[in-house]
Amino acid sequence: MEVDYGVSASKVINWFVAGITCLVTVLGLMPYALIVTSTVERGVKAIATVGILKFLTALPPSPGTKGLGGVGPSLLGTLALTALSTLMGVPLAFALAMLVTEFPHNIVSRSLRALVKGLLELPTILAGMVVYSLVVIPMGTPSIFAGALALTVVMLPYVTTYFETYLGSVPKIYREAGYAIGLSKAGVALRVVVPIAKKGLIVGVLVGVSRALGETAPLLFTLGAARYYYPTSITGPGDSVSLLIYNFAMMPYPNLRAVAWGAALVLLASYLIVSLAVQLCVRGVEA
Amino acid sequence: MRDALRIVVAVITALIIVGIAAAVASVFGSGIGGGGNSRTLKPATTSSPTYVKMGGATFPAPQYLAWIKSFMREHPSIRVSYELLGSGAGVSRFFDGTLDVAGSDPPLPHDVWVKHEGKVMQVPTLVGAVVVTYNIPGLNHVTLNLSGKVLALIYKGVIKYWDDPRIQELNPAVKLPHHEIFVVFRADASGTQLIFTTFLHKAAPSTWPSTLVGKAPAFPVAGSGRAAGGKGNPGVANLVMSNPYSIGFVEWSYALENNMSIAAIENAAGNFVKPSTESLISAARSAAKHLPRTPLGDFSKDEEYIIYPGGKDAYPLVAWTHLVIRVNYESQAKARAVAALLKWIAEKGELNIIPGYAPVPENVRQLMVEAANNILHAAGS
Amino acid sequence: MTLLAPSALVIAFYVLLVRLLAGYSIPVFRRYGASFVLSSVWNPGSASYGILPALMGTAVTSVLAAAIALPVSLSMVVFLNEYCPSIVARVVASVTTVMGGLPSIVYGLWGALVLPELLRSYVMVPLHKYLGFLPPFSCAPVSGWTFFTAGVLLAIMITPYMFSLVHEAYASVPRKYREALLAISARPYVIAREFIKMLWPAVIGALLLGLGRAAGETIAVSLVVGNVNAVPYCLFLPGQTISSLIANNFPEASSYPLMLNALYAAASVLLVVGMVLNIAGLALMSRWRSITG
Repeated sequence: MEVDYGVSASKVINWFVAGITCLVTVLGLMPYALIVTSTVERGVKAIATVGILKFLTALPPSPGTKGLGGVGPSLLGTLALTALSTLMGVPLAFALAMLVTEFPHNIVSRSLRALVKGLLELPTILAGMVVYSLVVIPMGTPSIFAGALALTVVMLPYVTTYFETYLGSVPKIYREAGYAIGLSKAGVALRVVVPIAKKGLIVGVLVGVSRALGETAPLLFTLGAARYYYPTSITGPGDSVSLLIYNFAMMPYPNLRAVAWGAALVLLASYLIVSLAVQLCVRGVEA
Repeated sequence: MRDALRIVVAVITALIIVGIAAAVASVFGSGIGGGGNSRTLKPATTSSPTYVKMGGATFPAPQYLAWIKSFMREHPSIRVSYELLGSGAGVSRFFDGTLDVAGSDPPLPHDVWVKHEGKVMQVPTLVGAVVVTYNIPGLNHVTLNLSGKVLALIYKGVIKYWDDPRIQELNPAVKLPHHEIFVVFRADASGTQLIFTTFLHKAAPSTWPSTLVGKAPAFPVAGSGRAAGGKGNPGVANLVMSNPYSIGFVEWSYALENNMSIAAIENAAGNFVKPSTESLISAARSAAKHLPRTPLGDFSKDEEYIIYPGGKDAYPLVAWTHLVIRVNYESQAKARAVAALLKWIAEKGELNIIPGYAPVPENVRQLMVEAANNILHAAGS
Repeated sequence: MTLLAPSALVIAFYVLLVRLLAGYSIPVFRRYGASFVLSSVWNPGSASYGILPALMGTAVTSVLAAAIALPVSLSMVVFLNEYCPSIVARVVASVTTVMGGLPSIVYGLWGALVLPELLRSYVMVPLHKYLGFLPPFSCAPVSGWTFFTAGVLLAIMITPYMFSLVHEAYASVPRKYREALLAISARPYVIAREFIKMLWPAVIGALLLGLGRAAGETIAVSLVVGNVNAVPYCLFLPGQTISSLIANNFPEASSYPLMLNALYAAASVLLVVGMVLNIAGLALMSRWRSITG
C-alpha cells in the first residue's frame, strides 16, 4: 500500500493549474468590464441631458451647438439593416453548415468550407467595396439594401463556423440512434441533430446579429450616411448607429462626440439585453 | 419556478422583437416617413421626396451638415445627406454616378476637368484653415511664432529640439525647453496634409521641395522614432494632446473645440498671424481674383494662389473647399433640388457659420448662384 | 438539391470578388512584380508601392493576438469546466460569449481613446525596462499607438470567439470519457488535458477563426496601430497592417495613379495568404476529426 503523505505531486499540480487558470480568467475578463464601464459612464452622461426617449427618436444635432438631439434615423437604419442581413445570412449559413457537416468528405463541401473561412480574412472594408461595384453603382445610389448585403458577406463566415461547430459536435451516437429508428439522412439532420444543437444555433444567429449591429467598414460606401432625416425605403440611402459613431467620434465638436458615446451605449445596451435574454432562454442538451 | 421565469423572459423578448419589426415595417411599407421636421414621424406633405446625395471631403462636413439641417427645415420635400468619404472618394463616386454633389477640398485636376468640360461645375463654398498646434508643458497658453522655413526644418528632422536657435529667434520673449520635438503628421492621405506641405513648399522652396508636397508624402522625420502619424484630424489632435513636447497640424475647428494651442504663422508679408475669420477672409479676398469667372471654368490652380497669399493680414495656411456639381441632372426634381440648395447656401450660408470656418467673399458666392441657374437652364425650367 | 443553391451563391460571390480584385490588382503585379510584396517603400507621389511593412504588421499583430487569446481562452475553458462552481461558470461563460459579439465600433472607440495610454504606462514601459534586451521589446515606447496595442486590442476582440467554440466542444464531450477518467482517480487537470487533446480540431478551428478575424479587422486596428509604414522589428513602434493601410488610403486613393490598384492588390495578397493558412488548418483538422468520435 502506498503511504499517504498528505500532499502528492498531482495534487500540487492540480492546485497550481486551478490557480493559474482562475487568475487568467479574471484578468481576461477585466478588459470587457473596463469597456462596459467606460461606455456606460460616458453614454449615460450624454443621454441624460436629453432623456432616453428623445435620444432614441430625435435627429442628431448641428455640429457646434449646445444641444444633443438624438439618433432616431440611425437607429431605425440599424434595425432595418440587422433584420435584412440576418434574414439573408442565417439561412445561407445554415445551408452551408449542414452541407459541410452532412457531407464532410465531399470535395465540394471541403472547398466551400475553405472559401467561406477565407471570407474571414477579407478586410471588412473590401466587402463593402465589392457590394459597391456590384450593387451601388448599377442602382446609382447607396441604400439600406446594399448595406445589408455587405453585412451579410461579413457575417457569413462567423455564423457558418458557429453552425458548423455546434452541428458537428453533436456526438455520433445520437445520429446512429436516429438511423436506428429508421430516419433518413435528412430526417436525422433536421429532427435529431438540429434540436440538440439548438442552443449553439441560436448563439450563431446572435453572432450574426451582433456583427450586423457593430460593423462599420462594410457600410462606408454602401449605406449613404443619411442621418438627418428618417429613411422611407430600403432602396434609398440610410444610416446606422455604428456609422454615426464612427463619423461623429472623429469630429472636433464635443456635442457630436457626446452623441457618439450615447449611441455606443444604446448599441451596447440593446446588444446585451438581447443576448442575455437569449442565453437565459435557451438550454442545450447534456451529453 | 425557473422555467416560469424563462417563459416570461421569452415572451417579453418576443413581444419587443415583434414590436420593433412592426415599427420598422410601418415606416418602410406604406411610405410614411419623417418629414423635414426635427422630432416626429410625419407623413410626407407632397409626393415622394427628392433625395440629394452629397459626400466627400471631411474637412467641410460639419459645416455642410449644419447647413443641410437648416435647409431641410425650410424645404421639407428635399432630403439631403452628406457622406464622410474623403475628397478623392467623393469625386470618384460622383463620376461613378452614386453621388449627386461631391465635396472636395482640392479642385478637380486639370486633366479631369478637361475630360468633363461643359458637364461639370465647381464652386468654392468655404474658406478653411490649417493650424499648427503644439503641446509644451508650461507653454501651452503662450502663442508661439513659427515660420514656414522653421516648420519645414522640423518636419525634415533637421531641427530636433524646441530650444533650437532658429525657433528661439522667432520667439525672443519665450524660454523654450531643451527637449526633443515629437513630430506628428497625418498617416492617411489627406487634403489637410496637402495644404500644409504646399505651404511649406511655397514658404521655403529650397528646404521643402515639391517632391515632398502631397496628400501622403514621405516625411523625412518619419523614421526617426520621435514621429508618429495620426489617423485623421482627431488622430493628430490626440497624439499631440497626449504627448508632451509634440507639434502637429490640424484643421482650425479641432484646435478651437479642444482648446489646443495655436501658433502664429509668418505670412508672405512677414507678419505673424493667427487664424481668425478676418484673417481668413483677407486671404480669400486676395486669392479670389485668380479664380475662374464661371463655375464651368478650370479651378485646378486656385489652391496655389490662396495658400501663402499676399495681404498683410492674411493667415497663410488657408484653402478653398469646393462642391463639384453636374450641369445635367437626371430629373427636373433633382435639378431643382440641387439648385435650391446652392442658392440657399449662397444667400443664407454665411448666417449659419460654425466655429472653424469662414464664408467665401461676396463675389465668389455669385458663382454658386450662377451654377444654380445653369442647372435650372439645362433642366429646361 | 436545395443545399446546392447556397453553395452556388457563395461561389458566385467569389467569382465576382476575384474578378474585381484581379481586374484592379493585375496591373500592379505586372508593373512591380515581386517587389510589391518585398519592398518597404510606399510613396504614392512617385508611384512606388511596397507593402512589406504592412504585411509584416498584419502577421505580427494577428500572431500576437492569437498568442494572447489562445492561452487565455483555453484557461477560461479549463477553469470554468473543471474548477469553477457550476452556477458561476454558467454565468461567466454566457457573459464571455456575449462579449464576443460586442459591436466592433465600441471596441474601436474604447481602443482609440482609453487603451493606448493604459497599455503604454502599465505594460509597455515596464516591459521595455526589464526585458528590453529581447528584440521585440527593444525600442522605447513613445506613444501608445503601436503594433503591441493593436495586437492586444485584437486579442480582446477574438478571445470570446475562441472561448465559445472550444467551450461548446468541451461541454459536449460524451460523459463516458469523464467517467472513465474519474474511475482512475484522475485530477481535474488531467481530465482537462485529455479533453483538450481530444478537442484539437476545435482548438485549431478556433485559432483559425481568431487569426482570420484579427487579420481582417479594419476599423479598430486602424485607430490604434499608429499608421506609419514601419517594419515591425520591435513591437512598441507605431506601424501598419494591410487593413489599416487600405482604410487609411482608400478615401484619397483615386487621386494617385495606381494607388487604388495597389490597395486592391494588397487585399488580394492578404486573401491569398489567409486562404493558404485556412486550407492547411482545415487539412490538419480533418485528419484529427476522423480519429475522434
